[in-house]
Amino acid sequence: MEESNRQVPVTVLTGFLGAGKTTLLNRILTEQHGKKYAVIVNEFGEQGIDNDLVVDADEEVFEMNNGCICCTVRGDLIRILSGLMKRADKLDAIIVETTGLADPAPVAQTFFVDQDVANKTKLDAIVTVADAVHLSSQIEDHHEAEEQIAFGDVILLNKIDLVKDENIELVTKRIRKINPFAKIIKTTKCGAPLKEILNLDAFSLKRILEVEPDFLESDHDHEHDDDVTSLSFVSDTPLDMEKFQNWFGKLLQTKGQDIMRTKGILDFKDENDRYVFQGVHMLMDASPMGKWPENKERSSRLVFIGRNLDTMNLKEGFEACKSE
Amino acid sequence: MTTDLNQFPELDKTKFEQRGIQLEIGVPVTCAVSIGNNIAAGFGDGTVRIFSSGEKHKTLKAHKGVILCMSKDGDNILTGGDDGYFLKISLNGEINEITNFGSRWVDHVTAYNGNLVCSSGKVVYYWDKNKKEPKSLNHDSTIGGLAFDAKGRRLAVSRYGGVTIWKKDYSNKWKSTKLDWKGSHNKVSFSPDGKYLVTSMQENVLRCWRLKDKLDFAMSGYGSKVKSFAFISDTSYLATSGAIDAICWPFDGEGPMGRKPICLPYIGNKQVTYIEPFPDEKAIFAGLSDGSVFLSQIENENNTIIIRSFTGSEVSAIAMTDDKSSIFIGDMNGNTLWTSIWDQ
Repeated sequence: MEESNRQVPVTVLTGFLGAGKTTLLNRILTEQHGKKYAVIVNEFGEQGIDNDLVVDADEEVFEMNNGCICCTVRGDLIRILSGLMKRADKLDAIIVETTGLADPAPVAQTFFVDQDVANKTKLDAIVTVADAVHLSSQIEDHHEAEEQIAFGDVILLNKIDLVKDENIELVTKRIRKINPFAKIIKTTKCGAPLKEILNLDAFSLKRILEVEPDFLESDHDHEHDDDVTSLSFVSDTPLDMEKFQNWFGKLLQTKGQDIMRTKGILDFKDENDRYVFQGVHMLMDASPMGKWPENKERSSRLVFIGRNLDTMNLKEGFEACKSE
Repeated sequence: MTTDLNQFPELDKTKFEQRGIQLEIGVPVTCAVSIGNNIAAGFGDGTVRIFSSGEKHKTLKAHKGVILCMSKDGDNILTGGDDGYFLKISLNGEINEITNFGSRWVDHVTAYNGNLVCSSGKVVYYWDKNKKEPKSLNHDSTIGGLAFDAKGRRLAVSRYGGVTIWKKDYSNKWKSTKLDWKGSHNKVSFSPDGKYLVTSMQENVLRCWRLKDKLDFAMSGYGSKVKSFAFISDTSYLATSGAIDAICWPFDGEGPMGRKPICLPYIGNKQVTYIEPFPDEKAIFAGLSDGSVFLSQIENENNTIIIRSFTGSEVSAIAMTDDKSSIFIGDMNGNTLWTSIWDQ
C-alpha cells in the first residue's frame, strides 16, 4: 500500500449505445480545466472527443489461466495502462470508455489481476450512463444492459426530460432491483456535478465503510430466471470466521460466474476488528479495517448482485455461519 | 582526527557509481540498446540519449510521447512510440521516419540485416531490405512481442493464444506455423541455438517449446510477472526476472525439463525486474525493483558484486557496450548510471 498515493485513478464509463457516454466524457474534459486526462476509447466508439491524449483500444478480453472460468481481463488495457505509466507528464486521471455492448466485469477484474496495473493505477468507479427512455426495453433485450447497471457504482439516469415522471419512478425501481447500492443521479444531458462522478474511490474498502449501501429488503418477484437481482443479509449475531470462509470461498468458486458483485462488512466472533470485503465475480479484496466504533452496534451485512441468486441457498448458507 | 559528515553519502556509493556518470533525468527510462561501443537509451518523454565513452551524452528529441520499444539495425537504432511513429536514428543524431500510424501505438520493433519489423496492434509490418512498402502480417489479437532467430530466417510473433512463426518459403512467399497455448503471451525469444522458443505470459509463468517436436512445457513458481529474460552464454541458461532471486534455468544437454533452476539470491528481498546477459560469460546483470543492480556469476553464487546501489525505483533498462567495457543502467524514475566496468 506504500505506493497508494501515487496511483492514478481510473474511471470506467459504461452504458448502452446512445445513452450519452460521449456527452459525459466531453463534459468531464472541458469542465476540469488544467487537469491532465488520458482517455481510452474503443475504435468503433462514438467520435468527437476533445482531448490531447486519446488512445484507441481494442477491447480484447481474454481468460486468465488460473482455473477460474469467469476471470476474464482486458489485455489491451494492461498494455495501454502500463504504456501510459511511462509518460513523462503525470496524469491526473484516466477515463476508459467502453463500447455500448461491453460487459464491465473484465475491465474491473483487470485491476485485481495485474500487479503492475494495481500498483500504479486504481479503479476509481464504474459510471453507467442509462437512457431513461430506452433502459427498460434494453434491459429486457440485452443482458449487457443489465450487467452495466449491475456493475455501476454511479448510474446516471439520463434524458429524464424526455420521460414522464411516473415512468422515471418505474425505471428507477427497475434499476434499484438490480443494483441497490449504486448512486442514481437523474440528469438531462448528463448534467451531474462532476464531484459525484470522479474521485469516488468506490472500490476502496475504506469507502465501503463510509457509504454504507442501502440494505434494502430484497424481493423475489422477478419475471425471468436469468434476471439480475440483488439480495442482502444482516445479522446481529457474530459470525464464525472459519465457517464463513468455507461457505463464502466455496460459493464464489462454484457460483462466481453468476455472482457479479459482492460487498460486505463482517462481525466475527472473538475478533475486535471489522472485516470489509468487496468482490467482482470470483475475485475479492478483503481486509480488517480497524476496530468497531464504540457508539455503533456490531452487525454483519452482506450484499450480492447477480443472476440466479435464489438458487444458491444464500440465506441458509449465511445463517449457518452464525456462531452458536 | 575529524570526520566530515558530508562524506558519508559518498561511502554508500559503489565504485562504479563513483567513477561513472549518474544523472537524474526524472523521466522513466523505457529501453536501451548497444550500438558498437555506444549505448542508446529511450525515455518516457520521447527523447533518445546516446552515451559514448569520453564525451558528453547527446540528447535527441525523437518522439512526441513515450518511446515504447527499441532495437538496433546495424549502426542505427529503431524506435517505436505511443505517438505512432516508427523511426530510424543514426548515432550522429539523424532521424528518419519509416512510417507513422497516427493514433495507433508502435508496440514492438526488431530488425535483422537491414530488414525492419514493427508491430502496431494486431499487425506486423515487415520491410524487406530493398523495399519501400512493408508486407503486412495479420494476426487475430494484439501482438505481445517479436523476435528473429539467430540467423534471421524465422520471425516469432507472440500474441493471445500462442506464437505465430513466420518464414519465407523457396518462392519468397510468407508461410506461418502456430504454436498454441491458451493465454496472453508477451516477450518472446528463440534460444541462440534455435532449438527452443520461450515466451513470458500474463500469468507468472514462462512457456517454452522445443521446436523439433513442438513439445511444450512451463517454467513456473514466480512471485510476479516475468518481464525480462535472456539466454546466457549461447544456450547454457535462461536467466529470468519475476522472483526475489534471479532464476536461471539450465538449457544445456536435454534442456530444463525435470531439472531445477539455479537461484541467485540478492540482499533486500526485492523482486528482480531486469536481466541483461554479460556477453559470452555465464554471468548476468540483475536489476531489482529498488533500483539496485548486481553482476553475478551463475555457477558461483558467492561471486556477486554490486554495480549500483538502490535508488527506490524499478530497474527498467540495462545495456552493455559491445566491447564489454561500459554499462548503462536506467530506472522508472529516470536515474541513470553510465560507467566503465573494469578497474583502471
